[in-house]
Amino acid sequence: MIPFLLAGLAVLLAWVAPGLMARQKDFRRAPRSALVAWQAVSVGGILAALAAAPAAVPLLVADDDPAEHLELVLPAVLVSTAILVRLLYAGHHEGTRLRRVRAEHRQLVDIIATHEDRTRILQHPTPTAYCIPGRQSRLVLSQGVLDALPPDQLDAVVAHEEAHLHGRHDLLLEFFSVVHRAVPGPLRSPEAVGEVRLLVEALADRAAVRRSGEVATARALMTLAGSRAPEAALGVGTTAPVRLRLLADGPPHPVLSVIAYSYAALAATLPLLLLGLAWA
Amino acid sequence: MPHSTSAPRLGDLERVVMEHLWEASATGGPGFEGATVREVHDRFEGEREIAYTTVMTVLDRLAKKDLVTRERDGRAWRYLPADTREALTAQTMLRTLDDMDVTDRRTALLHFLDGATTDELADIKAALAEIEARAEGEGAPATRSGKRGIIRRR
Repeated sequence: MIPFLLAGLAVLLAWVAPGLMARQKDFRRAPRSALVAWQAVSVGGILAALAAAPAAVPLLVADDDPAEHLELVLPAVLVSTAILVRLLYAGHHEGTRLRRVRAEHRQLVDIIATHEDRTRILQHPTPTAYCIPGRQSRLVLSQGVLDALPPDQLDAVVAHEEAHLHGRHDLLLEFFSVVHRAVPGPLRSPEAVGEVRLLVEALADRAAVRRSGEVATARALMTLAGSRAPEAALGVGTTAPVRLRLLADGPPHPVLSVIAYSYAALAATLPLLLLGLAWA
Repeated sequence: MPHSTSAPRLGDLERVVMEHLWEASATGGPGFEGATVREVHDRFEGEREIAYTTVMTVLDRLAKKDLVTRERDGRAWRYLPADTREALTAQTMLRTLDDMDVTDRRTALLHFLDGATTDELADIKAALAEIEARAEGEGAPATRSGKRGIIRRR
């Protein structure tokens, strides 16, 4: 029975939970705790899927006739193995692809950009600011953004990018990207990926606000929002409106974080609890 | 610094060699037909100690990255920059901003923000107005001075 429950929990956490969570937009105002909740749901889903097989073992061992339970055990083992294999494959595939893309871009930027300490400055008038994350990280600015932003706004932008690098947000995004690919197509939730990206940006914006204040951060966003032609892809919005709205709304009621962390604790421990019950 | 005794990093060398080629191309004018490995190596004379084979390796790597093209000249190869630094920079900017699949780009590189749709601009302006109004209302200075600017470049 429990292996079945665990497999069901895995599906719930992978398929139902993300869609529901993405709709709770209030939690964007507490990005750190929200991100922990998202991680917990993903980890919980993985744990539930992987625990299905070990949870079946006591059933096999305890009875005189293990074949009786085969119709419960076999699907559980199959689900576990399939998900594990998909995770490992997706992890390897995505991991190597990301690192290769970043390394190529980093090498290119190192050659064509001018160096200012650890920052790379692309000699181009279009404002842009980004970082190349990883073990050999780079902060890349264009001459255009240096010209367009006054010092406090530039500090905000740099603080935002440095928050990405120091917080290793790239690893977080990679984790979600891998889980997203590992989940079978029909069960995926694209809203989850978009929501996590947004939360990561909101979190980095917090660092910008700590450095230069809301006004400077908001103005920097405004300047870069108008800096170039809109995204070519139809229907793909940017994170700008939500981020500005979050800056305008200010910090949330503390209870939001408490709820998010409690939910996270539940999602992560429930599979372990069930596994413990199976073995009890 | 006349000689560098520490083992130079390849990435660093790629940049220096590229700069030498750009310079050679600029001084050579439209008739510039490229530089041989020997010629590039000679440019390092007095600047840093670098092996001939290292220069060859570096030029080879640059060619593989399509930053440099090469043509046979008798028994030697002549190397030319694939394009000017400005053109390569413009290409890079376009590539990072447009070319990559949007979701891919947003995972590989982390941008502060690159543009917004025209629909979004109105919302953004409204939110900014709110933030500025609130800051003024609180009597807080519109700009927060504090730490020295991190980047100074004029």
